[in-house]
Amino acid sequence: MQKDDLHTIRFAAIICLVCSMALAGVQGTLRSTQERNKRIDEQINVLKALAPDFSPDGEALSEEKQEEYFLIGKVPKEWIPTYFDEFVEQNEIELSEGDSRILYQLKNPEGEIVSYAFPAEGKGLWSTVHSYVGLEPDLATIRGITFFDHGETPGLGGECSKPWFQRNFLGKKLWDNGEPVRFEVAKGSADPQTDYKVDGMSGATITGNGIQRFLNKTFREYNSAAFESKRAM
Amino acid sequence: MPAINKIVLDPLSDNNPITVQMLGICSALAVTAQLPTAFTMSLAVTAVLCASNTIISLLRNHIPDKIRMIVEMVVIASLVIVVDQILKAYAFEISKQLSVFVGLIITNCIVMGRAEAFAMSHPPKEAFLDGLGNGLGYSAILIIVGFIRELLGFGTLAGLKILPESYPGNGLMVIAPGAFVVIGLLIWLQRTVTKKYEEV
Repeated sequence: MQKDDLHTIRFAAIICLVCSMALAGVQGTLRSTQERNKRIDEQINVLKALAPDFSPDGEALSEEKQEEYFLIGKVPKEWIPTYFDEFVEQNEIELSEGDSRILYQLKNPEGEIVSYAFPAEGKGLWSTVHSYVGLEPDLATIRGITFFDHGETPGLGGECSKPWFQRNFLGKKLWDNGEPVRFEVAKGSADPQTDYKVDGMSGATITGNGIQRFLNKTFREYNSAAFESKRAM
Repeated sequence: MPAINKIVLDPLSDNNPITVQMLGICSALAVTAQLPTAFTMSLAVTAVLCASNTIISLLRNHIPDKIRMIVEMVVIASLVIVVDQILKAYAFEISKQLSVFVGLIITNCIVMGRAEAFAMSHPPKEAFLDGLGNGLGYSAILIIVGFIRELLGFGTLAGLKILPESYPGNGLMVIAPGAFVVIGLLIWLQRTVTKKYEEV
């Protein structure tokens, strides 16, 4: 009995040691590749929001290519470093005392600002939905948007990361005559005439409401003095 | 000693882990809305099954009986973490879609079930083949279900449009209950064809 217990303890110790060393080895070997993947994924999402219509090699993109790259998210990976080194600037803007947030700026080769983007996130039904919102230089019109890294039901709330839903937002307004609007994700189809209402996802009312809530909250926060001064520039 | 052919081929139909043994249903529902995720999950489970069966079979004469299941669990969990790490490094997009379900291979009853029922009592070669057979049996069902659900749910296969643009997509196929229906029909079809079912 005594001998048995000793064997059990020794065996357990060896198994634990071997397994943990193997796992540490695998993790150490793969970590840099994994981190690179995560970074590229983040940057692709920033680019989807900035939605530029030029490519880093200076060629103008056809509409199909823009759709493929910036709505569907198939930005060629080899572009990412060039984009981020040469054209995208990551700035901090102070929204109020002690509250500074990220604001990305995309500049064209002539150095003019083509678009802005900022992160927004909040609860959907099951999970936190992450998003980047891209704005035209007027800082009022949506130029691009992306919802990603969420755990909503595929086919229902999960539709928020689909091109059809995101296309919906393009050209909509966050401000009307200098006043912030109340942005709305409709139930069913939105009236195409309105500038601040988008089609909802059927069967995903709560995800839609969540998106509406956190977008409005973030829009209000960014619509502060700091933003006003940018717009005046 | 059962013939080698039988070890590999039996789990494909007559002793299929999903449709006959009724194991691994959870992941068969969760990752089969589209073909690529179903395919990657199949590969991952097959790899884990082969490796865990082989390792446990190699250790079978040394594993103390008292901690038998814990040891099996540790081996399986370690293998699953390795697979998850590899997917995160080399198949990032798909690993994002599979999300938590790769980790849940640990609790997939097929892996533990084969370790207990077969690997603990057979030599490594047979245990490996048993893992392979069960992995393929699981894969076959996942891929069939993934094929049917993606085709009817989205009108696509592996993301390529197959049905005409006007096909609206079937919402039932996209959500988990759709998979229940498909698996149920598969079981019915299989038993009608093979005539192997329990007499009441």
